[in-house]
Amino acid sequence: MSDSPKPRGRFDRLMSAWVRSLDRTPFLVALIMLAAIVVARSRFQSGVFSLEELNLATASALTLMLAAAGQTIVLIRGGIDLSIGGVISLGTVLAATTFGDDPLQVAGWSLVILAIGFAIGALNGVLITVLRLQPFLVTLAGWSILTGIALTILPTDGGSVPSWWTGFGYSIFLGLSGPVWVLMALILFWYWFRATRLGIVIQATGSSERSAVLSGVSILRANIATYGLSGLFAAAAALYLTTQTGTGSPLIGRDYILPSVAAAVVGGVSLFGGRGHLVGTIIGAFILTIIGDLVFALRVSSYWQPVMAGLILLGAVLASSLAEKSAKGQDR
Amino acid sequence: MSLKSLLLGGVLAAATTLTGLAPAAAADPYVIYLSNNFMGNDWRQQMIRSAEIATKKGPLAGRVDLRIEQAEGTVQAQINSLNNIIRQKPHAILVDAASVTALNPTLKRACDAGILVISFDQTVDEPCAYALSVDWDFIPRVLAEWVAEKLGGKGNVIIDRGLAGYEASIATTKATEEVLAKYPDIKIVGYFNGDFAPGPEQSGVAALLAANPQVDAVVNMAYGTGAMQALKDAGRPLVPVTAFSFNGSAVACGGEGASCILGSNPPFLSSEAIKLAVEILDTGKRPENRAVIYKNDFFATELFPSKLFPGTEVQPIELGKNAFPDLSPGLFLPVSPTWVEITPEEAAGKS
Repeated sequence: MSDSPKPRGRFDRLMSAWVRSLDRTPFLVALIMLAAIVVARSRFQSGVFSLEELNLATASALTLMLAAAGQTIVLIRGGIDLSIGGVISLGTVLAATTFGDDPLQVAGWSLVILAIGFAIGALNGVLITVLRLQPFLVTLAGWSILTGIALTILPTDGGSVPSWWTGFGYSIFLGLSGPVWVLMALILFWYWFRATRLGIVIQATGSSERSAVLSGVSILRANIATYGLSGLFAAAAALYLTTQTGTGSPLIGRDYILPSVAAAVVGGVSLFGGRGHLVGTIIGAFILTIIGDLVFALRVSSYWQPVMAGLILLGAVLASSLAEKSAKGQDR
Repeated sequence: MSLKSLLLGGVLAAATTLTGLAPAAAADPYVIYLSNNFMGNDWRQQMIRSAEIATKKGPLAGRVDLRIEQAEGTVQAQINSLNNIIRQKPHAILVDAASVTALNPTLKRACDAGILVISFDQTVDEPCAYALSVDWDFIPRVLAEWVAEKLGGKGNVIIDRGLAGYEASIATTKATEEVLAKYPDIKIVGYFNGDFAPGPEQSGVAALLAANPQVDAVVNMAYGTGAMQALKDAGRPLVPVTAFSFNGSAVACGGEGASCILGSNPPFLSSEAIKLAVEILDTGKRPENRAVIYKNDFFATELFPSKLFPGTEVQPIELGKNAFPDLSPGLFLPVSPTWVEITPEEAAGKS
């Protein structure tokens, strides 16, 4: 990633600027798609460019954003995490069965749930590294096991959380809702995280595992951190989800597995590792959520929502593929 | 871009003139949203058709601006869709829910915004929302009583446990067992999981027939046609069968000389929910109980006076009148409420 010290010709410099801009293409495409959807919607519904709209859209999208934040880190590392479905289900079930009404107890259990999420992810990382197993299969198994555990605790939707807890999504502080503040914290976290040694190691390992190993990176540690963070974010998604549903749902996590990957890909994160940005993922999550609002505003059949989501995903993948091809061309 | 904006503008103009805006005057139709979380089976499709037809003719014609919102199977999609609906401030929201509990905070917000909320079919337990459904405790009890009386209080019965782990299946099985337990000479000789599908029902019954030389009745939680096929395949007599009121089941019972009773969960619960909403909005009078039970009919091959629940309506199955050999076996009976006429063809989506 660092600039080459070698002197370069004018052509080379031009080429590398071109490639850098191509590298950002998927992200820019996502941004344009989001803008197009919002503008289209504003034609059919008033108040689209308002704080209230931002607050509500973020409240709707935040579960997906949190789940996709962890997925983004895993994708940048060059893996995939299906177990987040199980972590989310288990997280909501644990919250709804343990919270009670005492704020201290709620805080304590929230920390426990986050810790469990991290531990599950870390275990995924260990299994993937030590046993040299495919991330897809290890985390698929994890999803299945965790879903089973969630069903054992709560066979159907049930349990409860305090009523003040469910008010979080619509609570307003300085004009912005709780979810918008969480979103801003998430973005700040990302700018801090990607500059840390761990952030750099994860990205480098995703770009080329061989080079990373040669430069002394511990793959085990990188994987534990990567999947641990994914589990942690999935647990956070579960906690936020219970503020929306007020209940434990032993199967609900599966609804976020593929959308978390889709949000990241739409936002320009590469499925092959090494490239991606959380802000892109957040835009991707907004797009996938707001299409539903656009379809609603258009008053056409809601079956158009998956059709539009699919087309957007296709557009994003094309942009990504273009970026990757030209990056390869540059390497030759 | 200019072509696109032109198109958008045209659609916008059309949309504004067609849909109108939030109603204020009493003469305007009530804006009622129907939020449905799942379209993947016959019942839900008939439910949607029944809702549309009930607002186009009969007493509710012109009274309701019905807007149907499908949310793609997930709780999150239905929450997001409901949030959009709430912002339109309609008079009422009818909801066939993705979860008994997970929509509660969202529906509470709708109630707090002054919107009437009625859940139906898959109801919710949010206290501010009404819950309109058939009585899932009463139906299996009548079916079980019919079996016991049919057998003269003596015989071997096998029971469909529905879908494993599904709460309604567990409750239905329990109610069936409780009624049969009152007849000391009736023995439950086996259980199977019919999974609400004809295939598993047929193979479940076939396996139990192979293991039990004497089976005198089959209690099904869905079609009953799979059970009848299994009896035929095994060369056994067509013993009494209970099931639910699919058109295909009624036609099979009426046509093959079998002895059947069918419980019903009519898809026009959606029409009933609309009627309930209009009544509440018209009069301002609310039902005393948030749980509103729709008293369903039963269909049987012969009349059956229930002793457990005197006055229970049991219609004899008559081909062409209340069972329709020419229409889809997946059509649910009865097709029409009493206060508006939904024809069998309309219910089946054939007209």
